[in-house]
Amino acid sequence: MNLASLNINIYSLLPLLMVVGLALFVLVLDFFIPRGGKRALGYVSALGLVCILPFVPMFIETVPSYAGFVIADTYSAFFNVVFLVSSAFAIFISIDYLRRLGSESGEYYYIMLFATAGMMIMASANDLIGLYVGLELMSMSFYILVALRPGKGAEGALKYFVLGAMSSGILLYGISFAYGFSGTTNVNEMAAIVYRLPDNNTYLYLALALIGAGFAFKIAAFPFHVWSPDAYEGAPTPVTALLSVGSKAAAFAVFLRVFAVALPAFHGQWSDMLWVISAATMIFGSVVAIPQKNIIRMLAYSSIAHAGVILMGIVVNSSAGASAVLYYSLVYAFMNVGAFTVAALASRGDGGEQLTDLRGLASRRPWLAFFMALFMVSLAGIPPTAGFMAKFFVLASAVHAGYYWLAVIAVISTAIALFFYARVIFYMYMRDYEGAELPERSLFTCVTYGVVLILTAVGTLALGVYPSAILDIAVRAVGPLFTI
Amino acid sequence: MEQLFFYIFSIVAIVSAILVVSVRNPVHSALYLIICFLQVAAMFVLLRSPFLAAVQVFIYVGAVMVLFLFAVMVLDLGKERLKDSMHSQSILGGALAIVLFFIAFYLVYNGDIVAPLGAYTETALMKNTEVIGAALYTKYIYPFEVVSLILLVALVGAITLVMRHKDN
Amino acid sequence: MVELVWLIPLLPLIGSVANGVFGSRLSKGTVGVIGSAAVGLSFLIAVSIFWRIMTLPADARSIEIVAYNWLTSGGMSIDAAFLIDPLSTLMILIVTGVGFLIHVYSSGYMHHDKGLWRFFSYLNLFIFFMLMLVLGANYLIMFLGWEGVGLCSYLLIGFWYEKKSAGDAGKKAFVVNRIGDFGFILGLFLLFWTLSDLGAASLNYKDVFAAAHQIPPVTLTLITLLFFVGAVGKSAQIPLFVWLPDAMEGPTPVSALIHAATMVTAGVYMVARNNVLYSLAPYTGEVVAIIGIGTALFAATIGLVQNDIKKVLAYSTVSQLGYMFAAVGIGAYTAGVFHLMTHAFFKGLMFLGSGSVIHAMSGEQDMRKMGGLHGHMKITSITFIIGALAIAGIPPLAGFWSKDEILWEAFEKGHVGIWAVGLLTAGMTAFYMFRQVFMTFTGKCRADEHTKHHIHESPGSMTVPLIVLAVLAAIGGLVGIPFIFADGTALHQYFAPVFSHGAHAVVAAEAGHGLEILLMAVSVAVGVSGISIAALMYYAPARKYAPDFLAPEKMAETLAPAHRLLYNKYYIDELYDYLIVNPIKRLCRYCLDFDLGVIDGIVNGAGWLTRFTAWVSHKFDIYIVDGLVNSAATFVSFNSLVWRRMQTGYLQHYALIFVIGLILIVGGALLSR
Repeated sequence: MNLASLNINIYSLLPLLMVVGLALFVLVLDFFIPRGGKRALGYVSALGLVCILPFVPMFIETVPSYAGFVIADTYSAFFNVVFLVSSAFAIFISIDYLRRLGSESGEYYYIMLFATAGMMIMASANDLIGLYVGLELMSMSFYILVALRPGKGAEGALKYFVLGAMSSGILLYGISFAYGFSGTTNVNEMAAIVYRLPDNNTYLYLALALIGAGFAFKIAAFPFHVWSPDAYEGAPTPVTALLSVGSKAAAFAVFLRVFAVALPAFHGQWSDMLWVISAATMIFGSVVAIPQKNIIRMLAYSSIAHAGVILMGIVVNSSAGASAVLYYSLVYAFMNVGAFTVAALASRGDGGEQLTDLRGLASRRPWLAFFMALFMVSLAGIPPTAGFMAKFFVLASAVHAGYYWLAVIAVISTAIALFFYARVIFYMYMRDYEGAELPERSLFTCVTYGVVLILTAVGTLALGVYPSAILDIAVRAVGPLFTI
Repeated sequence: MEQLFFYIFSIVAIVSAILVVSVRNPVHSALYLIICFLQVAAMFVLLRSPFLAAVQVFIYVGAVMVLFLFAVMVLDLGKERLKDSMHSQSILGGALAIVLFFIAFYLVYNGDIVAPLGAYTETALMKNTEVIGAALYTKYIYPFEVVSLILLVALVGAITLVMRHKDN
Repeated sequence: MVELVWLIPLLPLIGSVANGVFGSRLSKGTVGVIGSAAVGLSFLIAVSIFWRIMTLPADARSIEIVAYNWLTSGGMSIDAAFLIDPLSTLMILIVTGVGFLIHVYSSGYMHHDKGLWRFFSYLNLFIFFMLMLVLGANYLIMFLGWEGVGLCSYLLIGFWYEKKSAGDAGKKAFVVNRIGDFGFILGLFLLFWTLSDLGAASLNYKDVFAAAHQIPPVTLTLITLLFFVGAVGKSAQIPLFVWLPDAMEGPTPVSALIHAATMVTAGVYMVARNNVLYSLAPYTGEVVAIIGIGTALFAATIGLVQNDIKKVLAYSTVSQLGYMFAAVGIGAYTAGVFHLMTHAFFKGLMFLGSGSVIHAMSGEQDMRKMGGLHGHMKITSITFIIGALAIAGIPPLAGFWSKDEILWEAFEKGHVGIWAVGLLTAGMTAFYMFRQVFMTFTGKCRADEHTKHHIHESPGSMTVPLIVLAVLAAIGGLVGIPFIFADGTALHQYFAPVFSHGAHAVVAAEAGHGLEILLMAVSVAVGVSGISIAALMYYAPARKYAPDFLAPEKMAETLAPAHRLLYNKYYIDELYDYLIVNPIKRLCRYCLDFDLGVIDGIVNGAGWLTRFTAWVSHKFDIYIVDGLVNSAATFVSFNSLVWRRMQTGYLQHYALIFVIGLILIVGGALLSR
């Protein structure tokens, strides 16, 4: 193998290298910062990510590089933006959150950056091996991040770790079958081979099922969702936000890439499997979210339900469906990070993010309640918020492709889901608060949270009121997936 | 002949794996695990991958298990019965295992998943390490580098978590 | 001026945000002014648009104002656009006009409430969504409004959340509305699918109506029925009417605005807006008409015996909404919308009047404890009586013309059954309305001394809206007087551009004026006799002429079973609890515990299996069995050293579920080979 055929192209990796560089820089900087001043690392990390953001769309390389492992196309660029944005938000709200928990530390920030890097590797992976290492980098970082919350963290992290390791094993098993029938792990080469395979190739079915199960674990789809409520509840809330947004988006990115690019010839086969998973996930997530008393657990199940809806876009396997997945991921980043931010801010800091903590928030903190109401309305999919638009695009793509019953199930699950979102609004606006007042927040707190809340709220509204611009970008971004 | 060895190795591997979870003494458990790993290493040889076999022995049997034994001995973990940690789901777990086994057996028996074993070539036997090394530094350079990041994160994470517990 | 239409919904939205965010720091007067002014300005713009529309030729009165391109997806483009046509113009006039009056009234009525700013914020938000509902040029914007008004209604019914019953009523309204909305959404999707199959994927009214006759009749029937399910929920028809009477737990201005004048009529508006679709689906029309007239009768019978001043009005609202649906169901869209308009006037008036009474009675709502209020609060009393006369169908008040037009059209189109039931209902309406009037305003005051002492006329901010509405209730029907023009009433001409597309387009009465006048006389006679019976039963001076059996107590006694049935509202709530609510609660209970429950179930089942196995294989070496069986969990047990310290105990179960899922997926994939 000569070096030229590897197509070493540093530009295709530049945003990723920047994030890794930032992480290493923060890692080194950590040694020089005294214990009390670790929050500076948070600012460096968050602002660093913001500075990297404009570079992402600048380096689009449509030809796979590094022996076909990396592809920096518009598709991965779109997801990279989602990762960077949600990660910057999460780091920003971490600064105050960690201070309140009394566990400020440097490693928290650079591990978060490594997790982001892992997501970016996944999004631009053009090869099952590359995808797998990216996924491991992300997961490994999250195992540690979840454990960083004193008390509950260890339990959630252990569950996440053990089940995550199981799912990695299953994914690898699936990849090995894929290699078995195609002799390659590169998605483009695999696509060419798959077209020549007979319809009943057992390896193919095993690979589909096992890879599907591995990905389903990462997006917390039923019945592989069991880890998510515990991990979400145990993790520091900003980590939960990133876990539910970034890690899911990354999993969707590879899900779509592998199934749409490598296996389009067997769409009929895998769409049936994902159809069932999608339907079960939507219904299950919305039904089980209803009785939850802990707001984080409720959002965890809500996130399961959303994963089911997003999965519809993959089932459809069309440009419309894929662009809806991208659009949904971005919207979800805004509204879910926003919701978690309010949850982090409204809880009393002792770790019990109970729904009842939100009682009377409207009269105590009108703005906060307003933002939360907006995010809930958006998560529930009520117009004119972005959540509605995202759902609409997914449903519309499903309808166009003839998946009527799946669309009906999605509508049912959305109708059910409104109950628990409305309950949050109910608690905030229609219950009086008894008990200790929230501690007064410093100006510093208000600014860090305020920036995140305003940006997420603006995103949630703007993407709903004027979705065309971003949807156009999403449609163009999925172009590379469906041209081959 | 090869098949004979394969069956010997796999039966020993399965039996020792069962013993790992069923003996009461954690030290014995660890020792059975070593046996299990060794069988897997032997199977790698049968699969024409001597390098992997060596890695399996060095890393899993050597490093990981020794560390594990140290931990068990230093912490002086008590004995425990398997039942205590199974939460009365042993029957169901067993049933599922049998179902999985049945699926695999059916597929193999039906001839759905068969792959011819390659012949022993000189490259496979003598130059195995060289080939792998070359591949890692050319074609697989990208995942190889990412793996180094994973190791870094794992290292930092391990230290962080331990230090945290020490603080508390 | 028409281009400024986007300001109409925007102003209330601004008012809502302003009050919601800064309201707690503003004085109560300012909050009221902001809230009222926002709606008042909208009303002025609406009026100017109305004038502009009227100057245009009839066929140019449908104007689409595109604000911007909302979304483009898969060849379908949806604009954020408003549709100005006679129907939506009338609706915005009602919503902003009546809404403005009710806002003004609220600033007086709610003056003592500490949450005034919240109230105005919700109220303005409601107006915004309601305006979007009626102004939207496509189904998506209508859906936006449809969902939004439901949310606001939920917030406003539960406004006095200290009262548990208010919170419960809010939830009930929410849940019941969800059921209806669900039908609406499904209908929307079915419409969308059908149109995409026809290659006309669009949700714009214009395009949909243009393509309507290509839709297969069965599909169209299904679509319209699903839409109607939404209307049934929103407009409180059988079988989903149960939430509306409970919704009276909300503050009275809310009842007037949302549960009488505007939101509950959204269903009627929706059917009228979709008249092209409904005209092509005659079967649905019959269903709509039958459910409508059935609800009218059903609710009226319940209204006969209720004692809560607001509950009577609530059942009356349900009943009147039934009239409107009967009208639009038989294709008399103009008559239905006409009744919608007059109903907004007189029912809004009566709710506000009842609010004024409740205000004076220190919160008392039981009519048995009222009486003789006419002496204390003349304005309220007189305006209320005007409203009652209007609803009872006494000419020349507004209610007479609209109700009579519905009855006449029913008769004329050959729906004699609907006509007869409608007439009967009209009589009942007249009876229970005047029962209410006599119980509240005449006779001796039955309140306790303390309350009696407190009775007073309401402040100007409350009485002025009453007077304005009373004037409207009196003269608002003039636009619908027949016989003046050759081609139908003024209103028919006005609506012609909207409703003439329908196959059932209303043509001027051909049957001759003689019959129409005769029927009018009949319905007036029915109304008058209803009032007379009420007077004989409840009006003290008239009572001495009444035969014995007409004494209310006597009557309740002789007809005890019927009375009990009506008084308990046919036990519908209890029936629903038994048939639907409780089973669902039980189902939820199962789902609630699913994550742990199913695992428990599996584990318990496994435990049972364990015992069973032990019984079967007595002499089996348990150790070997366990050892073999547990080998599947090798990986899991490997970590048991750590777990003992974690004390979670559930991870194994999670792993178990994981493996089950895996087997299902792999098995499914292999079986589908």
